[in-house]
Amino acid sequence: MFVVIKIHQRMNLHFKNKKVTGILTVLPSKEVLFEDEMGNYNAPIGKSLKLKAAMGFKSKRVVQDGITSSDLCIFGLSHLFDKQLLCKQDIDALIMVTQSPDYIMPPTSNVIQGHFGLKHDMICLDINQGCAGYIIGLIQAFMLLDQKSINKVVLMNADVLSPIVSKKDRNSNPLIGDGASITIIEKSIDNEEIFVNLKMNGEGAFAIHVPAGGARLPKSQETGLIEEDLNGNLRSKNHLVMKGDQVFNFVQTEVPPLIEALYKYSKIDKDDIDFFMFHQPNKFMLNKLADRLGVERDKLPSNIVENFGNASGVTIPLNISFNLGDKLCNKKYRLCLSGFGVGLTWGAMIIEMKNLAFCKIINK
Amino acid sequence: MENFNEEIAEILEVDAVNMDDHLASFDCWDSLTILSILALASENYNVTISAEEINDAVSVVGLKKLIQSKVQ
Repeated sequence: MFVVIKIHQRMNLHFKNKKVTGILTVLPSKEVLFEDEMGNYNAPIGKSLKLKAAMGFKSKRVVQDGITSSDLCIFGLSHLFDKQLLCKQDIDALIMVTQSPDYIMPPTSNVIQGHFGLKHDMICLDINQGCAGYIIGLIQAFMLLDQKSINKVVLMNADVLSPIVSKKDRNSNPLIGDGASITIIEKSIDNEEIFVNLKMNGEGAFAIHVPAGGARLPKSQETGLIEEDLNGNLRSKNHLVMKGDQVFNFVQTEVPPLIEALYKYSKIDKDDIDFFMFHQPNKFMLNKLADRLGVERDKLPSNIVENFGNASGVTIPLNISFNLGDKLCNKKYRLCLSGFGVGLTWGAMIIEMKNLAFCKIINK
Repeated sequence: MENFNEEIAEILEVDAVNMDDHLASFDCWDSLTILSILALASENYNVTISAEEINDAVSVVGLKKLIQSKVQ
């Protein structure tokens, strides 16, 4: 007897004839060590040092006062224009993925377009996404490239969240860093296939959030009042707040089945993937995730938070720039990218990258 | 859950635990300890528990019962 099982259609996406041709990451030069801020926390030094060891906290990059997401992107784009790695005329779309836009309106991508006086025949598009923002941004770029008149898309991921994290919040402050990345995506004739699996769950929308500052709860004197949570962290409603337990459980339970589904859909086996370039929340979570996925830890780098901090959607391109870098300019790797967090949003992509024109980090 | 006592003792950084010991009474008790317990529950028992549930469990035996109640 046959039993018919109805299987939910998964959010499987497939793209062809698109390629990443360059990745540039821009980091602020200012470096803050975990120890520099340890005295701010309402916890004994010994416990903070234990946290540092477990999470892999060491050093993070944060902007100087007043520097915004667009400043980092403009610095990076200027570098590419000056070095003739990108031609202004060639840009058909400018995508900006950020949760820290310069203004509520206009879109930051339009501000950047205006700064450089780019041609008017183009699409500027801001996307409000965080930890999975690189996956979302790439998907958007691939969809735009299906259009005949769009040949080159510039994807910017930028976040400057350090100003809205309480310095006395040991839950978030040690890990949050700032940064930006610029990825160039173009049409290709090499028949590359790209596979994506994506999920969202708005019921977990408040697991990571900033309560005040939007229309629901405008900033006021009241929202600026500092309160203490159960663990002794001090923050106001203007600050970012993260429910660490929810996020940990979410990542451990949802990401492995997502990746498994992607293997099945793409018919690409775990062993055929060279590197797992994941979002970087902290070392603890990534090592647990690697173990659960049965992936050797050296194939799944977890060294971004300790060196630079977690700049939300920037972590995946930063991970690629830092850990693969130049190698991607003359070698070919099959990568599994995965981003997970704010939204809640989680997504994974299997993509081949090779012969990039550039793959590096510059400091502003 | 035959190894639970040893596993929880290791997380709580002691040689052995008594079942009625209060979780919050251990010197090492903090948000990292709670995260380590979440990871233990997830890895070794395949169950999901929250920080609030751990705090509400109060004692070692309470925590054991909490995890037990979720194991299928």
